[in-house]
Amino acid sequence: MFWQQLVNGLTLGSTYSLVALGYTLIMGVLNIINMAHGEVFMFGAFVGLFLVNYLKVNIFVAMAGAMAASALLGILLEMLALRPLRRRAVSDLAPLISTIGVSIFLENLALKIFGPQSQAFPAGALSGVQLQLGPIRITLVQIVILGISFGLMFVLRFWLSKTRVGKAIRTTAESIETANLLGINTNKIILLTVALASALGGIAGVLVGLSINAVEPTMGLSMGLKGLAVLILGGMGNITGAMLGGLILGIAEVFTVAYGASSYRDAVAFGIIILILFIRPQGLFGKRQGGRF
Amino acid sequence: MDIILNQYYLQIVIFVLVNAILGVSIYMTLSTGQLSLGNAGFMSIGAYTCAILTVKAGFPVYLAIPIGGAAASFISLIIGYPALRLTGIYLAIATLGFGEVVRVIILNLKITNGALGISGIPTLGTKISKMLSSFGLSRFGGLTAQQTSNLLVLVVLIFILAFLVFFCTRLNRSRVGRAFASIKADESAAEAMGINTTYYKLLAFALGAFIAGMAGGLSAHLTFFIGPKDFAYHRTVEILSFAVLGGSDLIIGPIVGALLLTMLPELLRSASEYRLMIYGALMVIMMAFRPQGLISKETVRFWKRKLGRRINQ
Repeated sequence: MFWQQLVNGLTLGSTYSLVALGYTLIMGVLNIINMAHGEVFMFGAFVGLFLVNYLKVNIFVAMAGAMAASALLGILLEMLALRPLRRRAVSDLAPLISTIGVSIFLENLALKIFGPQSQAFPAGALSGVQLQLGPIRITLVQIVILGISFGLMFVLRFWLSKTRVGKAIRTTAESIETANLLGINTNKIILLTVALASALGGIAGVLVGLSINAVEPTMGLSMGLKGLAVLILGGMGNITGAMLGGLILGIAEVFTVAYGASSYRDAVAFGIIILILFIRPQGLFGKRQGGRF
Repeated sequence: MDIILNQYYLQIVIFVLVNAILGVSIYMTLSTGQLSLGNAGFMSIGAYTCAILTVKAGFPVYLAIPIGGAAASFISLIIGYPALRLTGIYLAIATLGFGEVVRVIILNLKITNGALGISGIPTLGTKISKMLSSFGLSRFGGLTAQQTSNLLVLVVLIFILAFLVFFCTRLNRSRVGRAFASIKADESAAEAMGINTTYYKLLAFALGAFIAGMAGGLSAHLTFFIGPKDFAYHRTVEILSFAVLGGSDLIIGPIVGALLLTMLPELLRSASEYRLMIYGALMVIMMAFRPQGLISKETVRFWKRKLGRRINQ
C-alpha cells in the first residue's frame, strides 16, 4: 500500500514538477509570475487530444506537436502581453495582472470552442498495460509519465548548465542589463525561455490528460495554482527546488487522499503555500538573496 | 415611471452598487501598493457568516451584515500579520492561496452546506419593506410592493457606498491616508521616515476585508442563495478588473470600473457570453497602454484645468 501510493505520488508529482519548471524558468529570467501558464498547459492537452483524435497520430508525435504548439502560444504571450510592459517602467504587479488577463481570456476561449464537458483520449492511445513489480502495480501511462518528466528535467538541467545558450539564459537571469552589455540578444533569450517554459507546460498537459483520462478547459486553473504552490515551495526561480517541490506536493496529495481527508486534497497545495510563506518565504531550497538557477 | 423603475433596470443598478463596494474593498489594499487577491475569500467569509446568522440563528439583517464584515476583517488580521511581511507578488500569491483554502473549507463544512450552498436567505428588500410597513408605510404613490422594496434596497446601497467614499476621502487627508500613500510610493523610504509600515498595511488589509465581507453579506441578502462557486478565483479576477480598468489612484476609479464592467454586458446582450474574455483582454490591453487605469490623478488635474479655463473665459 505504502509503496504503491509512493509511486502514484511520484507520478503525479513529476507532472507538477514539469509545470512548475515552466513557472521557474520565466520567474528566473523575467522575475515575473506567469499566471497564464496553467492555461498554456490546458492548451497543450487540447492540442494533443486533437492530434490523437482527429489526425490519428501516435501519442508520442502528439506530445511533440503539443510542445510545439504550446511554444508558439508562449511566443505570442511574450510578444503581446509581456514585451509591451517591459518597454516602460511599470510596477512589478503589471505583468502579474496582464498574465491573469491572458489566463482568463484563454480559459473562456477554450470553454467557447471545446465546451465545458471533459473529453478523453481514445482507449488505444496508450494501452492499459499494467506491470507488477513486487508489491507495486504500475501502468504503462505512469511509466511514460515518469520517463518523460524525469528525462526532460535532466536534459533541461544539463542544457542550462553546459551549453552556450543555457549559459546565456543564466546570464540573462542574473541581470538583463549586464547580459545586454555582454552582447547577448536578451530579447531573443527571453523569447526562447518563454517558449521553452510553455513547451514544458504543453507536454505536461498531454501527460496529465493521459493519466486522469480527462481534458477540460478548467484543468488549467487548478494545475496552474498547484504549479504556483510548487514554485513557492521550492523557492522562486530555483530549478532543483521546482523539481523536488513538485514531487513533495504530489506525494503529499496522494497520501492525503489515501489516508483520510480526500475532500481536502486541493487545500493541501495552498495550505503548503501559506505555511511556507510564513515560515520560510524563500522556499525550501531558496537562498535569501538572488542566486537563481 | 414604470419604464424607469423597471424591475430589470433596478436589479442592474443594485448589482452595479454591490460591485462598486467590492471595488472600494480592493482600492483599500491597493492604496498601500499591496495587491491582495483574497477579496473573494473575504467576501465569502462575510457572505456565509451573514447568511448563517440570519437563516440559522435568526439574527436581524442589519446586525448580521456588519458582523459578517467583522468576521472577514478578523480572519484578515490573522492571515495578514504574517502575510504582510511578504511584498508584491508573494503577497498576491499567498492571498490567492488563502482564497482557495477558504473555498475548499466551505465546500467541506457541514454548517455551510457544502457544494449545495445556503438557499432561502431572506432578501434585504422584503426585510426593509416589512420594517417600514410596521411603521404604517407600505406604499408610496403608485409604486408596486416589488418596486418599493427594490428602491429601498437601492437607497440603502447608495447610502453605504456614499459613506464609504466619504470615509475614504476623509481617510486620504488624514495621518493614516498619508501613511498609506507614502508606503505606496516607496516602502523603504516610508519605513525610514518612521512609519510603522506593518501596522498601516495591516490596517488597510483589514479595512479592505471588512468592506469585502460586508459586500458579501449584502450580496447574500440580494440573491436568496450563496454557494462556494460564487466566490471562486473568477470573482477575484472580476474585482481586480474593476480596479485595473478604472484605476486605483483615486477612489472613484474602481467605482467607475465597476460601473462600466457591470453595465457593459447588459448593454451589449450579445457580448454577455464573452464577458470574462472581454475582462481578460481588457486587463492585457490596459496593462500595455494605460497601467494606471482610466482615471488617474493626472486625468483629474487635466480635466479640472480644462474645464476651469472654460469657466473663466
